[in-house]
Amino acid sequence: MEKIELLAPAGTKEKMEFAFLYGADAVYFGGKDFSLRANAKNFSLEEMKEAVEYAHERGKRVYVTVNIVFHNEDLDGLVEYLKYLSSIHVDAIISSDISVFDLIKKNDIDLELHVSTQASILNYEAALFYKNLGATRVVLARECSKEDIKRIKKETGLEIECFMHGAMCTSISGRCVLSNYCTNRDSNRGGCAQICRWTFDYLKDGQKINDKVFSMTPKDLNMIPFIKDMIDCGVNSFKIEGRMRSIYYVSTVILIYRRLIDKILSNTLTDEYSKYALNILNRVANRESTPQFFDKLPGVDEQYYLGRDEVSNQDFLGLVLDYTDGIATIEQRNYFKIGDTVQFFGPTMETFDYVVDNIMDCEENSIEIARHPQMIIKIKIARELHKFDMMRLKVFDI
Amino acid sequence: MKKSKILININKINEVDDYKKIGYTNFLFAVAYFSIGYASFELEDIPNDAYVLLNRVMDTDAIDKLKKCKEQFKRFRGIIFEDLGVYNIFKDEGIELIWFQNHFATNYNSINYYLDHGCDSGVISNELASDEIKDILDMAHKPLVFNVLGKNNIMYSRRTLLSNYNRYMILDDYNDVTLDTGKDKLFVRENEHGTMIFYDEYFNHIGFTSEIDDDKIKFYLVMNLDLEASEIDAVINGKQFGGRGFLDKKTVYKLSDY
Repeated sequence: MEKIELLAPAGTKEKMEFAFLYGADAVYFGGKDFSLRANAKNFSLEEMKEAVEYAHERGKRVYVTVNIVFHNEDLDGLVEYLKYLSSIHVDAIISSDISVFDLIKKNDIDLELHVSTQASILNYEAALFYKNLGATRVVLARECSKEDIKRIKKETGLEIECFMHGAMCTSISGRCVLSNYCTNRDSNRGGCAQICRWTFDYLKDGQKINDKVFSMTPKDLNMIPFIKDMIDCGVNSFKIEGRMRSIYYVSTVILIYRRLIDKILSNTLTDEYSKYALNILNRVANRESTPQFFDKLPGVDEQYYLGRDEVSNQDFLGLVLDYTDGIATIEQRNYFKIGDTVQFFGPTMETFDYVVDNIMDCEENSIEIARHPQMIIKIKIARELHKFDMMRLKVFDI
Repeated sequence: MKKSKILININKINEVDDYKKIGYTNFLFAVAYFSIGYASFELEDIPNDAYVLLNRVMDTDAIDKLKKCKEQFKRFRGIIFEDLGVYNIFKDEGIELIWFQNHFATNYNSINYYLDHGCDSGVISNELASDEIKDILDMAHKPLVFNVLGKNNIMYSRRTLLSNYNRYMILDDYNDVTLDTGKDKLFVRENEHGTMIFYDEYFNHIGFTSEIDDDKIKFYLVMNLDLEASEIDAVINGKQFGGRGFLDKKTVYKLSDY
């Protein structure tokens, strides 16, 4: 079996570090230019160099998105940028615009090429087109069925990367400019205003035909029931969406999928763990998630119909900064108090429940409540914790 | 703008005669099963001297089916295609190929790649300002196809969005509906392969054609959804209709640009 890669989003260097710590094999991020998610923090040139060094020192990989659909003016500086990415030894770039492929070839730039999901690859002939251009991996369209994936792998031999978790576009990626028309923001250059999450009046021949609004918002993607099938189809890399998500989201999702993949590979996955994993993932995203296109065309149950159905929560309670002599030093992220039942989780331990029975401020005075964002508190706790473990509200049994 | 350079999509087979009577000679037929959003036709019903439109993003079944009937396409003047799998199948078959990957023909370098690798032309994307279009035409290695009249196809989903909504709300099987944001209206059409959303206001770039060099144009493209031949002819001849799309405004994408 080929090696299975767990690929995480990294909107910042901090998120990259947490992604690696919590089990990612590789991360993807964008630079300040030429990348979708134009309004994420993204990486400067120097930060990218440092990120690559950081990753490689740990045996991890870094892929850089160069995935806008270029306008004439965007071509300025592109060759120099690609040469820079080559010089700092990024492991690959992810792109869909043929100009990137063309300029790499014409300028003999040493860069591995992955085809972005923006290229909407659903069939093996399209994948072969990119293989002939030098691509080594295709990030398939989220609309691919199991049969599409199997056939693309069989006919091309390319590395296959598939999204396994996160937000979905309503459209086939890249085939949407709703934002351009409704807000003048260019969706294919990173300005997407998520018009597909708006609500609309529903009209036929100028007459409203339903009092309720029309919505086309999809639920999120999760592939928990089909990870084994995807491995059997030949998927090499399992990708998590969400470069603009928090460290809590990235760490939680990566840890859950790391454990799911490892349990599948070691034949130890249970239905109970799968159910628990699904609960955790749905809770952290504030939206429901389903497998979407893998086993069928999405129907009524894969969408929301009455506008956004998102409930934010304050589950992330604290980040462990230190653990010495039975005392954990924690940076508070959300309100908690003595008597609350919480969970600690981290990459090197099993998640466990804990009833908060003591809280101290940074001068070790006892307090009842940790109420201030980012205040430093201490908790005496017998179970060993580690730097960068996390504390969350207990919502589900382990 | 010479009528001999206008390429018009056909919605009903008898429209061809209406157009021919008023001097139009180039027609585009969307092919059933391999297209979405426009009225489509079985291969045997499409005349030999037509161009055919394959604008579906093809899955495995579609691409296999296309390969099986590939010989049947050789009698047409050319293929206008969206999916690069189509290019891969037909690139060495000696049939005229026109690249129409919607929203991707936004810079001269990408367009020239296809022109230099077997495509006879490409359709310039519609989300461009007039200066960007002129630059592309100046730099292109072959004459291009330029959209002059139509409703912009602005979103393509593989989901059956209308069926799902109608079913959820227990409504009749409405299709060809309009979504209203309060500011913009969007026209939505669904078939078994997915859903296409169009901006409801027609764009009209006919006035702009006087600013571009006719030698750089292979075809002026009309993508009609619901107008009669006489109405199309009137607009081409100068009747005020529709809007100028993005000709006068560049899109932005960074918060600092808003």
